Amino acid sequence: MDIAAGLLHGFAVALQPANLLWCFVGVFLGTIVGIMPGLGPPATIAMLLPLTAQMNPAGAMIMLAGIYYGAKYGGSTTSILLNVPGESASVVTCLDGYQLARKGRAGAALGIAAIASFIAGTVGVLGLMLVAPPLARFALAFSSPEYFALMALGLAMVVLLAGRSLVKALLAMLVGLWLAGIGTDPFSTTSRFTFGRMELLSGIDFVVVAIGVFALGEVLANMEAREEPLALPVPRGLRNLLPTAKDLRDCRFAFLNGSVIGFLIGVLPGAGSTIASFISYGVEKAFSRRRDEFGTGVIEGVAAPEGANNSETGGALVPLLTLGIPGSGTTAILLAALVLWGFKPGPLFISENPQLFWGLVASMYIGNVLLLILNLPLVPLFAQVLRAPAYTLYPAIIGLSIVGVYSASGSLFDLALLTGFGLLGYLMRKLDYPSAPLILGLVLGGAMERALRQSLMMSEGSLAILVSRPLAAAMLSLALLILLVPLFTRLNAWRLQAMEEEK
Amino acid sequence: MKTVLMALALALAGASAHAFKPTRPIEVVVHTGPGGGSDLLARAVATMIEKEKLLPVRMQVVNKTGGGSAVAAAYLAEKGGEQNTIGFFTGVWLTSPLTSAEAKVTLRDLTPIARLVLEPALIAVRADAPYKTLGDFIGAAKQNPGQLKQSGGSVTSRDNVVRQLLQKTTGARWAFISFPGGGERIAALLGGHVNMMVIEPAEAGEHIRAGNMRVLAQVSDQRLPGFPNVPTLKEAGFDVPAVPQVRGVVAPPGIPADNVAYWEDVFRRLTRTASWRKFLQDNQFEDGYQNAAELAKFYDDFTERMRAILQEAGIKIVR
Repeated sequence: MDIAAGLLHGFAVALQPANLLWCFVGVFLGTIVGIMPGLGPPATIAMLLPLTAQMNPAGAMIMLAGIYYGAKYGGSTTSILLNVPGESASVVTCLDGYQLARKGRAGAALGIAAIASFIAGTVGVLGLMLVAPPLARFALAFSSPEYFALMALGLAMVVLLAGRSLVKALLAMLVGLWLAGIGTDPFSTTSRFTFGRMELLSGIDFVVVAIGVFALGEVLANMEAREEPLALPVPRGLRNLLPTAKDLRDCRFAFLNGSVIGFLIGVLPGAGSTIASFISYGVEKAFSRRRDEFGTGVIEGVAAPEGANNSETGGALVPLLTLGIPGSGTTAILLAALVLWGFKPGPLFISENPQLFWGLVASMYIGNVLLLILNLPLVPLFAQVLRAPAYTLYPAIIGLSIVGVYSASGSLFDLALLTGFGLLGYLMRKLDYPSAPLILGLVLGGAMERALRQSLMMSEGSLAILVSRPLAAAMLSLALLILLVPLFTRLNAWRLQAMEEEK
Repeated sequence: MKTVLMALALALAGASAHAFKPTRPIEVVVHTGPGGGSDLLARAVATMIEKEKLLPVRMQVVNKTGGGSAVAAAYLAEKGGEQNTIGFFTGVWLTSPLTSAEAKVTLRDLTPIARLVLEPALIAVRADAPYKTLGDFIGAAKQNPGQLKQSGGSVTSRDNVVRQLLQKTTGARWAFISFPGGGERIAALLGGHVNMMVIEPAEAGEHIRAGNMRVLAQVSDQRLPGFPNVPTLKEAGFDVPAVPQVRGVVAPPGIPADNVAYWEDVFRRLTRTASWRKFLQDNQFEDGYQNAAELAKFYDDFTERMRAILQEAGIKIVR
């Protein structure tokens, strides 16, 4: 079936009233799940799975996918408003999103997040529709050495996430890498740094650290200030609550960057949306003319990671639908759902079930429009949350953090960890250590270690495997370049200084 | 008088067999996250039990991930005496305590209910690989010791156990590369980054049909209905036991006998339904039903066998 006919057929499926309703139910549930910290799409979809057994598969698939990409829209809400990352992929959004909110531009940040999500989400579906089969072959060319190089590239972003001191940023990143090492060694199944605690066997959940360091750390630091009763300024008038034309112009490159990077990383089964959001933030900053302002509240710093996070969904569906290979918890459940409904996901799935594939693709175009319509009016509404005085807002943030962590794991031990990481976040703020590198190290550490050890097993211990494969070598060179640039600029500064002194 | 006595006897028998009745939704503990093997089995069972009306209440799956199966097993052990909770175990619940000091709870500490399925496996290579039989692969591995690669799960997984057994009987040696996700293992094979993998029949089926994968042998005692032309390990000339992946049901320790009998009865009835037979067929699982008493014996045999295999593989055994 060629693309135009397929899409036309798909819209005929997706526009049936029942399927339209399921699409709305899916994206609506997704938005709620995204806003709530802790409860993620995999758990939600798993809970709804038994209910879909009696449904028409097209409608059920449309609904479950709606939850998946819908959750990506809502994830930024609490990041921007409260510095509480709603899901792992929204951690980067905190960096500039929350600073924008502090400047009274929460509405603009929320609005741009919705618009970036819409653009990149749509680009992701376009990619899924147009280039899925060739891209799936590209994804298979990626193996452990390439994943290691990709993670190294991600870690090199620390240079871009560093605040005033690169040394402090590197220290924070190393702590993050160490935290990633806690738990069961995936290869030998021995435990590392668990101190005999069973709860640490599965490692430390990234959400606990992110919420502790970002949200609790921020609240603790602000409580000390004891200033104005209103925590954050909120401008009056609807016009001031939405992004301006200038904001949209500033984000032109971010929309493109987020869409493309998110989709490409999404296609790789071993990467994921968190990595996609970090890398697109780094790329955005590296190419920006106002690089120094990142982290103080620039609008592109929200648009790029939020876009990447959304187009990643379209990318992640590529290996699932073209090869039957799931790359994440959510896609694994979607795979199980397809089996439950009697389909055989695999290389022949699209050609044998065109009505389901094209129906899904068409529904995703519709779903993204629905999400934009659903989310934009919520922006002024959510921005009002910040009108709450500090003595009600801060306890609410702490409550939301606790509920978020507990609903994700149901473990009291994690709440104790949350407290610990809250204190760590507070100390880091006091001592001027940036928290983003810590999170970066934690996110990438586990996958990077696995990829390195897998590579070395493949090569029988020879490191040459990392540089002898062209894709891996290219990414490692790029990472090295990113690391060396600040060094050269500093050397240059010293040289100039020395020349001054000689005079 | 006779009829009164008989009625009384019947009532008593009924009372003793079915004294326990669930009063609230059943909590079903699994050790994988949403989408993992145990999670999917538990959710499928919950759907079938609801459809066949085998329980008066709903079943709710609870994911207790971490440390192989350690966190889920410890959670069940803490719930001692709790009558509305059950768990789904796999072979990992038997091997984790062998290799991890923190995994203190063994299946012996929990109450056995039933063994449900045995999952056979296939030994697969990429369709364009030069190996037509398992003998070809082993021969190539002997010629280039350590050069060929297999993708699989952790070192205590069935994939590695099959490799260890084959290496031991043939003297060949090849590398084992762990990937935590099932999808990554298949991607590594299809991308040509590894040479062979041990794969579940339902996972392999579509890749074989699409012409991307070829099966060399099946890790099973009898040929599977879906693969009538593929030899079993023994038929291919390799005298190693066909290690199955095993899945079943346990309950917390210290529950009353009527509670055990109730669960045994529910799962025995489940395995006799048409939905269950269709489920086994769709996933190409073997019916592995065993009752509580047989299951307890199975634990001990399996644990001893795994202990020997893991020791042989040079993995540190802690208990």
